[in-house]
Amino acid sequence: MTIELERFADEVRTFLETNSKRRTDENRKVWGRASDQVAIFRTERESRNRHEMAARREWLRIRFDSGLGWISGPIEHGGRGLTSAHEIMYREIEAEYDVPDTSDLRIVGLNLVAPTILAHGTPEQCAKFIRPLFRGDLIACQLFSEPGAGSDLAGLQTRAELDGTDWIINGQKVWTSIAHCSDVGELLCRTDSAAVKHKGITAFLVDMETPGIDVRPLRQMSGGAEFNEVYFTNVRIPDSRRLGPVNGGWPVALTTLMNERSSVGADDSLAVNDALNIEWLTHLLDSLELRADPVARRRLAEIFVKRTTLDQLNAQLRRTVKSGRTPGPEASVGKLMNSRNVTDAAQLISELLGPQMIADNGEWGTYAWSELLLCTPALRLLGGTDEIMKNIIAERVLGLPKEPSNGAVKDGYR
Amino acid sequence: MNASSEQELADLRKSVRGFLSVRQEGFLDRAKTWDAPLIDLSSWQRMATELDVQGLAIPQQYGGHGYGLPELRIVLEECGRSLAPLPFLSTVIMAATALSASQDDDACTRYLPDIASGRLLATLAAVEKSGRWFPAEWMTKAEERDGQWWITGTKFLVLDGLSSDVYLVLAHTSAGLTLFEVERGAEGLRCEPMPGLDLTRRYARAEFANVPSWIVGSLGAGEAILENVLEYLRIGLAAEAVGAAERCLEMSVDYAKTRYQFGRAIGSFQAVKHLCAEMFAQLEGARASLAEATLSERERPDDLPLLAVVSFVECARMFFFVARENIQVHGGIGFTWEHDAHLYFRRAKATELVLGGPATDYEAVLTKIGV
Repeated sequence: MTIELERFADEVRTFLETNSKRRTDENRKVWGRASDQVAIFRTERESRNRHEMAARREWLRIRFDSGLGWISGPIEHGGRGLTSAHEIMYREIEAEYDVPDTSDLRIVGLNLVAPTILAHGTPEQCAKFIRPLFRGDLIACQLFSEPGAGSDLAGLQTRAELDGTDWIINGQKVWTSIAHCSDVGELLCRTDSAAVKHKGITAFLVDMETPGIDVRPLRQMSGGAEFNEVYFTNVRIPDSRRLGPVNGGWPVALTTLMNERSSVGADDSLAVNDALNIEWLTHLLDSLELRADPVARRRLAEIFVKRTTLDQLNAQLRRTVKSGRTPGPEASVGKLMNSRNVTDAAQLISELLGPQMIADNGEWGTYAWSELLLCTPALRLLGGTDEIMKNIIAERVLGLPKEPSNGAVKDGYR
Repeated sequence: MNASSEQELADLRKSVRGFLSVRQEGFLDRAKTWDAPLIDLSSWQRMATELDVQGLAIPQQYGGHGYGLPELRIVLEECGRSLAPLPFLSTVIMAATALSASQDDDACTRYLPDIASGRLLATLAAVEKSGRWFPAEWMTKAEERDGQWWITGTKFLVLDGLSSDVYLVLAHTSAGLTLFEVERGAEGLRCEPMPGLDLTRRYARAEFANVPSWIVGSLGAGEAILENVLEYLRIGLAAEAVGAAERCLEMSVDYAKTRYQFGRAIGSFQAVKHLCAEMFAQLEGARASLAEATLSERERPDDLPLLAVVSFVECARMFFFVARENIQVHGGIGFTWEHDAHLYFRRAKATELVLGGPATDYEAVLTKIGV
């Protein structure tokens, strides 16, 4: 096994040396020289930039065609048939190279939608979608949340009604990342409004070019438009695109959600981590002549300890995966910690900068941090709010009893 | 250095937990009785004969097994879990580490085999009245006269000082901080108990009035030995904290499942449920920092000094939070003398402060990363 991993590492390095450049000080974020933009979400211009998206898709294609696009996937679906240990090793090595940032494609399409299709799809659906998703030929989005169904996702109201062999969809989805450049969406609809809410949901794989789908950018509080609202007006989906049984969509959704909650926290490729390292925060202290300030030092140290602790949590998670075990719901701890750490760091930075964060005085690395601050509230909401994550930990890990349900709660979705 | 497989570590944990859990009730009753001698010597000796864990990290040539932190971590977590009144921290983590770090073959040959076999209790006398681990603040001195060293000064917070057979004493000499050994009963040595916050540990004040002593290691090597001891001590305290916090969380969760108010288990209320989830989240983070720090000893030894400090700071902070909130989940019953919750609360606060407290510890983190 070890020998095989070593040989695989050689293969990965050869591939990356041929197709990309190693990260150096020139293309790394260097204090005072690099862009001082620090954001969790792309700006509106970036998020709608077709050219950049093309580069990211191209990288997925090159990687897939070299046998490194889906390292731990089953061979019959285009995977390489290796272990998660190989997958992790690839990511660790890739991080040393300057390659297009495919994290948002990976998070939704590859980490969430593809595994769900593999778990619940028909052989035809697997054949049609999985390989193209990993190759970057298809981009996928996740059409779950609605204005009236956020934390209580099972209360969703977008309707699907059978018309011959087609389903007719009407309703609205919200907070859909990358819907504007997606080819296919994993869609949850209500197909039985008389049943208990979890039992009346069906999942579909909808072609995003279908007439009647209207994707509108949703501008978030930080100013960019990373997300979308997606409206469905008499959208027709053939029954062959149903994912799982009729009224059996909730287990399908849970597969996606479990993958989401473990991948959001564990994903340390978030661009923001480049800037929230101790090196940058120390530079910030120095530039404000606060290096000797005891309060600033103490808080900097606290952030460093928390950040290191999260790194160790992720390291432990990787060891679990490498040893062939599946991380349980306790993986959601990383998500809670990450949002807290970034929130705390943004608070410290804002207090250090003081009035310089209110308006742009032209100084490098000052006002630019305000964008980070404006992104932080999302971290405690996306992929399950802090409160929902704590319910999951308390109920599924610690075995504490659920809230007692009563009639009003049962019928709540109506 | 030897390494254990995951299965071996799991087996080790199982046997140590089995050994301690049948004794836990007796341990805690002892702790709540002021006048009873705390250290359970018969359990200590049986631990050596039945489990043979005292020598886990002692080099093989001195009668140990030559393992390291990943193995010690397991034993310490279990000791923390049961608040075992056993001299593991003093004898194994402080004294044996100081002896190994001194590279004094003669002293190691004399003491380490007996520590490994549970026959000898030893401790380190380092800090003085302020309790801080800064040698520059210490006054205790050793002088050489007629080919013999003599120590004068007063050491405080000497862990298990009343029960120890051997004291390793850090004292200043004209050539710098140096480690010395003093045997129990030496002329001019007086040990007195210090009443303490943590009922599961006994600290002593040790007065040295011109006490004859011998150098351990080389003259002036005290600072380097101290660094090694602190590294192991940080990991040791962190591991005990994780084990004890795990027990606190179990107490909270069990209680939240069985205590009914307003016709429901209190654990079904989100206010209580989220408190337990928060305890779990913080425990998992601290546990990960501990696990990775112990593994770094073999995998990336250069990282160990920093990871040991980080892990100690985080585990100590987490432990006090969990021990405090454990009382909150229990409500009034958790505030009684009879309930065990206060023993964990006391231990947690003492752990947080024993190396100087958060202000000192966070500065130590910054020093290690050059800020």
